[in-house]
Amino acid sequence: MPVMLPTVLRNLFGGPATRMYPVEVREPFAGARGHIEFNDDNCILCGSCARNCPAAAIEIDKEKNQLVFYPARCIICYVCAEVCKKDAIVRVDKWRAPYYTKPVEVHVAKAKKRKKKE
Amino acid sequence: MAQRTVAPFGPQHPVLPEPIQLQITYEDEKVVDVAPALGYGHRGIEKACEINEYPKNIHLIERICGICSCIHGISYCETVERLWPMEVPPRAKYLRVIYSELSRIHSHLLWLGLLCDALGFESMFMQFWRIRERVLDLLEMTSGTRVTHSVSVVGGVRRDIDDEQEKIIIKEIQEARKEAEALINVLATDPTVKARTVGKGVLTKEQAILLGTNGPHLRASGVKEDCRMLGMQVYDELGFEPIVETAGDSYARALVRARETLQAIDLILEAFSKMPKGEIFERPKGRPPANEVSYRAEQCRGECFYYAKGNGTQYLDRFRVRTPTFSNIPSLLVMLPGSELADVPIIVLSIDPCISCTER
Repeated sequence: MPVMLPTVLRNLFGGPATRMYPVEVREPFAGARGHIEFNDDNCILCGSCARNCPAAAIEIDKEKNQLVFYPARCIICYVCAEVCKKDAIVRVDKWRAPYYTKPVEVHVAKAKKRKKKE
Repeated sequence: MAQRTVAPFGPQHPVLPEPIQLQITYEDEKVVDVAPALGYGHRGIEKACEINEYPKNIHLIERICGICSCIHGISYCETVERLWPMEVPPRAKYLRVIYSELSRIHSHLLWLGLLCDALGFESMFMQFWRIRERVLDLLEMTSGTRVTHSVSVVGGVRRDIDDEQEKIIIKEIQEARKEAEALINVLATDPTVKARTVGKGVLTKEQAILLGTNGPHLRASGVKEDCRMLGMQVYDELGFEPIVETAGDSYARALVRARETLQAIDLILEAFSKMPKGEIFERPKGRPPANEVSYRAEQCRGECFYYAKGNGTQYLDRFRVRTPTFSNIPSLLVMLPGSELADVPIIVLSIDPCISCTER
């Protein structure tokens, strides 16, 4: 078919369209939503991330002074990072590695503790 | 008289990526009757919307469907904004149109690829998905993710498109347009494609209106109707004109979607040239008042209807979605009887069924 010829020729000389994936990994875009990490030094345990999380992936335990994060529930919407006023939630553009068992992260809010001592 | 046989088509079938069952009665090779069965993919999303606070629902609504996630999210926000009612900043309106049209391009390219796949035209299927990959990269660059973009919030949008990103988007979609035009030209002229689609699954204009079909499916039967004509978003400022074909067969439906892909690229370019600078978000005042509203949006697959009822609290009393596929399935009962058994997958595919949307 002559109509197909330009497409055929472009593909013949154009090189592969795919990447050698595990060897060659594309750098994520600057604003890509990869996953979140917690900066415990800044956290004052205000709980606004837990209140705004649509997936209930963050729990606050005020008695034990800790924040519990369930990465397997997280939908990476970054709502928590937007509402956090203390920059305690860090946006990382790389994907989290896959896991066999669902991890549970326990973070101790250090900024809160220091305030009490003072 | 030939013996009648009943065969189940789906819910698990190689050409159907989604769970719908069609009980097909056929005589020799001719289909004589068809009975659709739904209900394999119900997830209770509408009920879950009543349990969540209204800003959290955006992320839930986006998960109704993977392909139309962006437009579902935007339409949810537009519906809830009508409860006050409130206006979003003009730049946010344009950004919403740009995101909607980007997702329309990727949805239509996905469908064109799936059509080629159902026809056995594997290389063309890969070619279409290759162009789609460019659009998905653009969406990842601007919104942060490939599928569930979560760009829209009640009161505006979350992420702005800066000048640098705008240049990249314009360059990429112009290149994508050239490639798509070449491929669509092949699709429209290929004798094998024509032999499988021209005159198959014909739905006349009268039947289409009577059965309440919508979207590209309705426009392929010669009815000029599109929710983007209603002037709810800024489409009227962009000089939008719906694309209409008159034949009403599978080929016409493919052409409508192919031409809409190119039109969506033009709309994005137009939107970028007219987009004003300024704010992209305005905080809603207080909680959604006790009020009920409805909203219609043109999704990639057709007209989607939304209904919301507020009660003055953070929660919605009811949120209802009626998706395009739900109103397009009855047309299958007219199109399939009389067709060859081998044409059934292509006719079913030609309505662009999205069963996960339909059952929520």
